[in-house]
Amino acid sequence: MTSDLFLAQLRLGLDGLPKSTIDEIVADYATHFADGVAAGRTEAEVAEALGDPRRLARELRAEAGVKAWSEEKTPSAAAGAVFAVLGLGAIDIIVLLPILLGVVGALFGFYVAAIAIFFAGGAVFAAGPFVDFPGGVASAIFAGIGLMAGGASAAAVLTLITIGLVNALVWYGRLHYRLLKPALEPQA
Amino acid sequence: MPETIQIQLKKGVLELCVLALLSRGDNYAYEIASRLAKDIDMGEGTIYPLMRRMQTDGLVETYLVESPSGPPRKYYRLTERGRASFTAQKAEWLAFTKAVEDILGAAA
Repeated sequence: MTSDLFLAQLRLGLDGLPKSTIDEIVADYATHFADGVAAGRTEAEVAEALGDPRRLARELRAEAGVKAWSEEKTPSAAAGAVFAVLGLGAIDIIVLLPILLGVVGALFGFYVAAIAIFFAGGAVFAAGPFVDFPGGVASAIFAGIGLMAGGASAAAVLTLITIGLVNALVWYGRLHYRLLKPALEPQA
Repeated sequence: MPETIQIQLKKGVLELCVLALLSRGDNYAYEIASRLAKDIDMGEGTIYPLMRRMQTDGLVETYLVESPSGPPRKYYRLTERGRASFTAQKAEWLAFTKAVEDILGAAA
């Protein structure tokens, strides 16, 4: 395999990552080829010693996904990290997917409930003075504020749980990947 | 499956070996990769995902050095955390290998 072909396959496999990250990774391997050739090896020898560019790309994607997640806790970073780690094939997807979907579905349901409670609180708060609320206007306002606070804190707790779950999945995937799928496969 | 055991062992000590190499002086990836490929027979490509992971974990950091020929070269050096991790992992490794040696010695 020539250096160009190797780098092209690598770039293809990294598609979807930020362009600066891809450029940086591809530059690392291009330097490796240049150093190898300078040391008197052929491009084919260097490519063989490097291994399969597609497998390397999968590993690098997982690393990049985890890094993005460790830098910013956004929903898209979470999704990126989860899919990248799943892409390693480290986690038995067939077994894990139903559980994962169940957990995600339940979390989503709780989020919707928390938001609904928040808005219900808002409605009670706003409408309390105008309708005949049992207990009077003051209790309507306090009940509204209470419901809104409850909804907001439920959402906050759910966010913490979600972050914890993504971290656990990433940790699990990395652990198993390191132990079960060594990148040190014999160079066949 | 002696082959499998060897692969697992190498994989496990790869990070330790990189930490050890860098503890003796800053280095660049090609040099690290060729040392490890020669001495413990690992795939050279493995070094780059590993270096990125160690960077994410805050064990190493990079800096650029102007090169007389070609573009600037990227060097890796240990962070404080990397140094601490090396000390801890080395102690663990020595204790572990000593225990295994004792058992192997007793069995001989």
